Amino acid sequence: MAGNSSLYLRRRFTNALALTLSTMATVLGLVFLAWILWETLRQGIGALTLKLFTKITAYGEDGGLANAMVGSFIINLIGILIATPIGVLAGAWLAEYANRTRLGESIRFLNDILLSAPSIVLGLFVYTIIVLPTTALTSGNTTFSGLAGGVALALIALPVIVRTTDEMLRLVPSTLREASLSLGIPQWKLTTQILMRSARSGIITGVLLALARISGETAPLLFTAFGNNYMTVNPMDKMSSLPQVIYQYANDPGEAMHAIAWAGAFVLTMFVLLLSLASRLVLSRSKVSHD
Amino acid sequence: MTESAAAGIHPQSAASPAPIAPTKIKVRDLHFYYNGFHALKGISMDIPEKKVTAIIGPSGCGKSTLLRIFNRIYAIYPKLEAKGEIVLDGENILDTGYSMNRLRSKVGMVFQKPVPFPMTIFENVAYGIRHHEKLSRADMDIRVEQALRSAALWDEVKDKLKQSALGLSGGQQQRLCIARGIALKPEVLLLDEPTSALDPIATGRIEQLVEELKNEYTIVIVTHNMQQAARCSDLTAFMYLGELIEFDRTEQIFTKPSKKQTEDYITGRFG
Repeated sequence: MAGNSSLYLRRRFTNALALTLSTMATVLGLVFLAWILWETLRQGIGALTLKLFTKITAYGEDGGLANAMVGSFIINLIGILIATPIGVLAGAWLAEYANRTRLGESIRFLNDILLSAPSIVLGLFVYTIIVLPTTALTSGNTTFSGLAGGVALALIALPVIVRTTDEMLRLVPSTLREASLSLGIPQWKLTTQILMRSARSGIITGVLLALARISGETAPLLFTAFGNNYMTVNPMDKMSSLPQVIYQYANDPGEAMHAIAWAGAFVLTMFVLLLSLASRLVLSRSKVSHD
Repeated sequence: MTESAAAGIHPQSAASPAPIAPTKIKVRDLHFYYNGFHALKGISMDIPEKKVTAIIGPSGCGKSTLLRIFNRIYAIYPKLEAKGEIVLDGENILDTGYSMNRLRSKVGMVFQKPVPFPMTIFENVAYGIRHHEKLSRADMDIRVEQALRSAALWDEVKDKLKQSALGLSGGQQQRLCIARGIALKPEVLLLDEPTSALDPIATGRIEQLVEELKNEYTIVIVTHNMQQAARCSDLTAFMYLGELIEFDRTEQIFTKPSKKQTEDYITGRFG
């Protein structure tokens, strides 16, 4: 009995130790998140005025970020509109047609490489395949463009969407496939009308997470959308975006510019946070309806 | 392989000793391989029309495998191979030319776990019909109602046809899956342990349903539950290690089995 109680004590001690360490690690992680939010808010609160959303960057210290927000919106929209259909279809192909085949495994692996590719490389790639040719074709009238920026962001979003679609579809139990096929329903109908419906919330979450990921990207936009101090909604124009303006203003010596950059960073961070929350909501609501 | 040769190899497993109805599915010298593993070893049996045929046996004996060949659902996985003959209405369904679409509209299947589609109750039944036939709205309504009535589910769901099928109880979901299967007006209904995920009351309802459905359909049911086989089948096949040991009238199997192995199994000495 004595042996047993010492064993029990030791287990309790180990348990307490593990619990303490993991709690501390969690707190440490959360402290930094809260700190980042607090710091961006503290530094940017002075510039967090209506002006930030209505005036353009051409006014500098007296301006706002309206053109950068509109630019970010358009570039992200282009990126997501390109990446979503391709990514969802490619993910469906991987999960439903090429699962457990050598070709499918190789493509899954290549997609993972794209997923971790440095974003500046993708920016340079788009610079060479879109910016340089359009410059040559239009004799320099069109060079950098919001479209090129959107394509660069699409390349970043694409592997995220492929990956989540693939995984969400593979999570759908195979019994659902068997049940559909045993009714004579062909594979394409099964995939698009039944399996995708089952995995819908997971796929939407993947798209939202991809959007969150690309809305913070700066590097791929430097050589593609370039930036623009004036408001434009024409995707063939040079276009500014929030991360690129933040980067630019942070390098400026003026204190007022720093404040605007912080305010922009706060808006961007909140946007990403809200997107993540939205994706959580989509996932949890679907879980409730499945039970 | 000729009929007599098959019968010669497996005297008990050939055409059932006392035919009780015309043969619907004729199985001859059927072999099945899972990635090289010999899972079914020369099965021959005659499944009678509009009767309930139960397949029993310990786990891994190949009973589900056999059932899954009858609608060739196994073919969706790689490295599985069936050899031999399964003749349904005079045609060998294992022929590569046999249309999968046709086979699956003739042979319906219900699985162990109820798997409703992520749609409304109405759509669950209508979805399969729509793929095979073009019906007017009114005709579709009638067809869906008929199927739900035959599956003894209509009264419980008639006021919530537009609600998600995922909100139904397990037993209701399983009856919905049966309704979905019979909505296509199949001739054969395969039931793969249809009650193993259900409580006793839901099980009772399914068994009662099987009893009613056999007037119209040829039913093959795989079950772990020997009482279930005894209660609701006309013929019972006992399988062991990939072989058909004995195939006879259910009362014969459960009262005077001719093989020692069958007797040991039904009296609970192994399995």
